Amino acid sequence: MKRFLSGKLLIILLLVGLVACGNDEGSGTAGDDTESAAGGEQITLWVPFSGPDGPKMQEIVNAFNESQDEFSVDYQVVPQSEYYTTIDLTLNDNRNVPDLMVMHADQLLTYVENDLLKNLDEITGETVNLEDYNENAVEGAMVDGELYGIPLDIHPLMFYWNKDLFEAAGLDPDVPPTNREEFVEFAQKLTDGNGQYGYVVPTLWPQQFIMPTIVYQNGGKLIDDGQVLYDSEEVVEALEFQRSLITEYGVSPSDVQQDGEVTLFLQGKNAMHMNGPWMLQQWEDAGMNFGVAPVPMLGTEQQAVFGNSHNFVVPEVVGEEKHEAIKQFLSFTAENGMAWAESGQAPVSKAVYESDEFQEMKQQPEVAKQFDYTHFSPRVRNWGQLSDPLMEAVNEVLLGQKEPREALEEATNRAQQRLN
Amino acid sequence: MKNSKWSQFTSFLFVLPYFVMFVCFLLIPIIYGIYISFHSWDLLSKDRPFVGLQNYIAIFDPGTHLNSVFFNGLFNTFKFVIFSVPLLVVIGLLLALLVTNLPKKVQGFFRTVYFIPYVVSVSVIAIVWLWLLDTNSGLINEYLSVLGLDPIPWLTRIPYAWISIVVATLWWTIGFNMILFINALNEVPEELYESASIDGASSWKKLIHITLPTIRPVMLFVFITSTIASFNVYGQPYLMTRGGPGNQTEVLLMSIVDEAFSQRQLGSASAMAILMALIMIAISVIQFRINRASEEGKFKRKNKKGVGVWAKRKNQSF
Repeated sequence: MKRFLSGKLLIILLLVGLVACGNDEGSGTAGDDTESAAGGEQITLWVPFSGPDGPKMQEIVNAFNESQDEFSVDYQVVPQSEYYTTIDLTLNDNRNVPDLMVMHADQLLTYVENDLLKNLDEITGETVNLEDYNENAVEGAMVDGELYGIPLDIHPLMFYWNKDLFEAAGLDPDVPPTNREEFVEFAQKLTDGNGQYGYVVPTLWPQQFIMPTIVYQNGGKLIDDGQVLYDSEEVVEALEFQRSLITEYGVSPSDVQQDGEVTLFLQGKNAMHMNGPWMLQQWEDAGMNFGVAPVPMLGTEQQAVFGNSHNFVVPEVVGEEKHEAIKQFLSFTAENGMAWAESGQAPVSKAVYESDEFQEMKQQPEVAKQFDYTHFSPRVRNWGQLSDPLMEAVNEVLLGQKEPREALEEATNRAQQRLN
Repeated sequence: MKNSKWSQFTSFLFVLPYFVMFVCFLLIPIIYGIYISFHSWDLLSKDRPFVGLQNYIAIFDPGTHLNSVFFNGLFNTFKFVIFSVPLLVVIGLLLALLVTNLPKKVQGFFRTVYFIPYVVSVSVIAIVWLWLLDTNSGLINEYLSVLGLDPIPWLTRIPYAWISIVVATLWWTIGFNMILFINALNEVPEELYESASIDGASSWKKLIHITLPTIRPVMLFVFITSTIASFNVYGQPYLMTRGGPGNQTEVLLMSIVDEAFSQRQLGSASAMAILMALIMIAISVIQFRINRASEEGKFKRKNKKGVGVWAKRKNQSF
């Protein structure tokens, strides 16, 4: 632990050091800039886009910087894996805080409750008009009815299928299943008993998206009013259904390990797959003949899907003099966000997703079809921590080591303990 | 006199870089960690009240989630230590014996071959083994099916998950222990073997009565450093099983890192880390004691080599 402790604090010290150094330089250059750019305001933007999506956002920023010379945006990518730790340490230190940053919807509440984010009512209005965005996305950026983020995109769970395998099984390669009956029927046809499966059930990630999706489709809730509902009928049913794909219908192998279903999908031994829209690049790089569609109705009650979103947020400490630059950039991004769609994501600005250019893309319009019924994570502090027991229960049940009801009751108790 | 002061000063200069690093990156962080562990320290909150021993009490209170997280992690870490350390020592020694008995020409080659995995990072090791061990599309199960055997769920069922983690660890780190043993074996005086041969001792007797007693200090060193490194296991279960099935391979460091950086609770995470340190210190002391008691002055403890590598080993974990 000595090692660990020193490692951990070393990171903190290094970060603090970096932040401190950065601040010295930052304040120096920022001062120079404001003088030389004749009153032009510079704002700093932090994003977690360290993947192939990073350059796409950079394109938008560059276009904004070139479109006018009054304001400029300093674009900084912080690696996804340390993004929130870096934000935490920076806000904690209150130095070199960015003027604008991208935050996932499921993180908002934690920061809002600590008074670290600005209420954006003072920023919206003529320039940044909420009517220009998808209503559900705006809803997702709200905490207790107040707006804290300007949404960039929504990334719900998506449904992918292998068109070659569909064709070989005598199914129409352009028609995905739309409900549970079709899904099971297709999956059975696509299972050949010789190493090819209709739908391989993941036992770990992305169950964080799949399990809630089926629960919401069952009309259920995970947490409501301070009560953990993991042992409610809707949740039990969702897990029993997933297990039945392995045990009863036999359309999935048992004992699927981390990313096992992705490997099989890439190898053409898994015909149907559910994952986030960010996987698009991988399928394309592998040269697969695949289709993409909204998630079928696997639940019993209503169409729904679990998702997350990227939102622009402003730290509480950012001064009023930055507001104009922030507004101009946000408004520019809403109108010129097509580059973000090219990353495979679906921007929630109506100007983008209602355009013809967008509608002609392969995956993005399919994502947008799910905008209106996307459910975001329960509005509780530290959803990640509260969902851990649920995910462990899902894991154990799908690995055939526990019964659904028993595992979920245990998970409920553990999560309730954490919530209190 | 003047000369000796000058030499004292230069010695001090030589120590200084390490000392500065030691203070900055070990001593201060440890003290700071202890300080944090006495507070309710939410990374996002400005308000960090002093809570005394409350974080520690919570860990021992069966009603809290900290209690279940800590003891589940500790229990699993112990399991890993018990499974891996004997193998790390014994197989390291066997490999060393094997390599030193090879013709001189090929020794260097095999030393390198066994050592190479050690210089690769844990993420690479984990991915290689993840692909090899995949239940439904991995190479190993592919071979098993050719032999007409059922596939084995290597990473999703106990005890296979532990076997996989231990095997990956062995493959990754065994080279280091092997090198230590090879050096120790080369230090055993040839005369001892010669006189034993004259007395008609078999190879087995030579091993038991000459080799093992002579390399004993190095064995102790390997034993203790392997224990410490195994205690610090993190990467393999984190990347290979994600702590699953359920949380049955979730080790203590995974719980601590999660508590600190996902839940942002530095206070309770530091308390867990301090407890983990105390447990490790206690175990190391016991190991030393046992060895000293059984040694009882039979051997002079001159493990200069041991001390040298100790410093290197300390900064490494499995």
